[in-house]
Amino acid sequence: MKRHLRVDDLARDSRFVRLPLEARFNDPRPQGSRSSSGRSGGRRLTPDRPGAPDGARALMHGIFVGEIQALEGAGRTCYDFDTGAGADDVPFQLKLDMARQCWDEARHCEISVKLSEWMGTEIGEFAESTFLFEAACNPDPVLRLTGVNRALEGLAIDVFNAMRDFGDLAGDPVLEFCEDWMLADEVTHVRMGSDWLRRLTEADPERRQRALEFQSIVDKLFSGGGFRGEEEDSPIRLARRFRQLAGFTDAEIDSISEGSRQARREAEAARQRAAAKAAG
Amino acid sequence: MADPKKPRPAFAPWDRRELPGAFDVEETARRVGNYKWVEMRLFEALGGWVATVPELDVKMRLGTHCYKHAWHSELWHKRLPELREMNPERLTLPANSAVEEFMEAITEPEGEDRTLEKLVGVYRVLIPHKIAAYTYHLNNTSTITDAPTIRSLKLILNDEFEDWRDGEMMIQSLIETEEEARRAADRQAQLESILVRAGGIAGPGSIGMPAPEEVTA
Repeated sequence: MKRHLRVDDLARDSRFVRLPLEARFNDPRPQGSRSSSGRSGGRRLTPDRPGAPDGARALMHGIFVGEIQALEGAGRTCYDFDTGAGADDVPFQLKLDMARQCWDEARHCEISVKLSEWMGTEIGEFAESTFLFEAACNPDPVLRLTGVNRALEGLAIDVFNAMRDFGDLAGDPVLEFCEDWMLADEVTHVRMGSDWLRRLTEADPERRQRALEFQSIVDKLFSGGGFRGEEEDSPIRLARRFRQLAGFTDAEIDSISEGSRQARREAEAARQRAAAKAAG
Repeated sequence: MADPKKPRPAFAPWDRRELPGAFDVEETARRVGNYKWVEMRLFEALGGWVATVPELDVKMRLGTHCYKHAWHSELWHKRLPELREMNPERLTLPANSAVEEFMEAITEPEGEDRTLEKLVGVYRVLIPHKIAAYTYHLNNTSTITDAPTIRSLKLILNDEFEDWRDGEMMIQSLIETEEEARRAADRQAQLESILVRAGGIAGPGSIGMPAPEEVTA
């Protein structure tokens, strides 16, 4: 088996439909999780907003395919690198952590499949984009760990926290219970990313800087349009407390928050320009 | 209640553990290093395969099993310094070149149409051989002096039996035609023949029997 699998080589059964991220955002069904308003506040995903059930189902499906890719990414990190102390190698203990993450992500896949059925959706009802695994393809193990375990698993903390709140508001104890368990695992995964970033770059500040820049790029990508932020009406709110538990500094969380505000301002300006153009 | 001051034997009548064992410290360390090497190659391969198998249930099981074998390798890694090997990497080795060749052959299948070959190699060849070698070790080591290894072996064997059953059931569910049954058998025979040369996962004597060439020599 060769090392460093291409995204296109990810194996799926016939139910899965793969689309680029931008094409997925053109799917009108999950609008309940993105743009329309509910009584309880702006764009936030709440049970009373129009389209909330579809939005929650789409988000759950997105979580499910994200968990598959997280499983695949952690698995590849076990395999893609030699064990050792060289720049291209990874320590034995890091591989053990990634194997542990494999088990956790496999459980998350199982939980997500069950929750998807519980919420009335099925595999393939919504499209899959491969953004998570793309971050897991970085040939530098430090950048891979930082992009996946800090940026994307950090996003997972925010998403699971939001879904847990949604379960609470919707009076769905099964959803709330499962999301809380997955949230605990994600804090562990992000902490792994924080620890390994620190340990592997202790004597190499340039590499640490490159890794943090890569994380910033991934973070920015997922703050698109202010989808994830600290505003009251952000569809997915930054889970500041859990991020702190996972090793993020306040300055890092502030930076993600500011990036999201900026992305939101840019998206709003783009919408206004498009509206003005349409109006002639 | 019995008188607490009354002398009692150090070993209760039901405790039949004995001092003698088949392995000294050095031999135990060698075997443990071989086990760690095999467990490492296995968990790495299972992790790598997750992305290459389209069957969703298999994908998730491989992810789960990946961790179990990683944990086994960690148990062996931690045991080595307790066996006077302060540099565990020195003994983290294949028992011989045939074992290395076997693990190369096991991990060779890659394409998404080769799930059967992947699973047969692990669950019909490697894991049964691991169970055999671990059981031999468990039943022949000193039940008093080598208790830490026994504890690890028992924990690991419990995982191995569960994973063996999982894997065999996945294989049976994937085989739908006689041609596929032959595919599985051919793959098993190909890999078994390498392990015959290797003498088992810990080399000749993995299960106590000498290697065939030693018998005929």
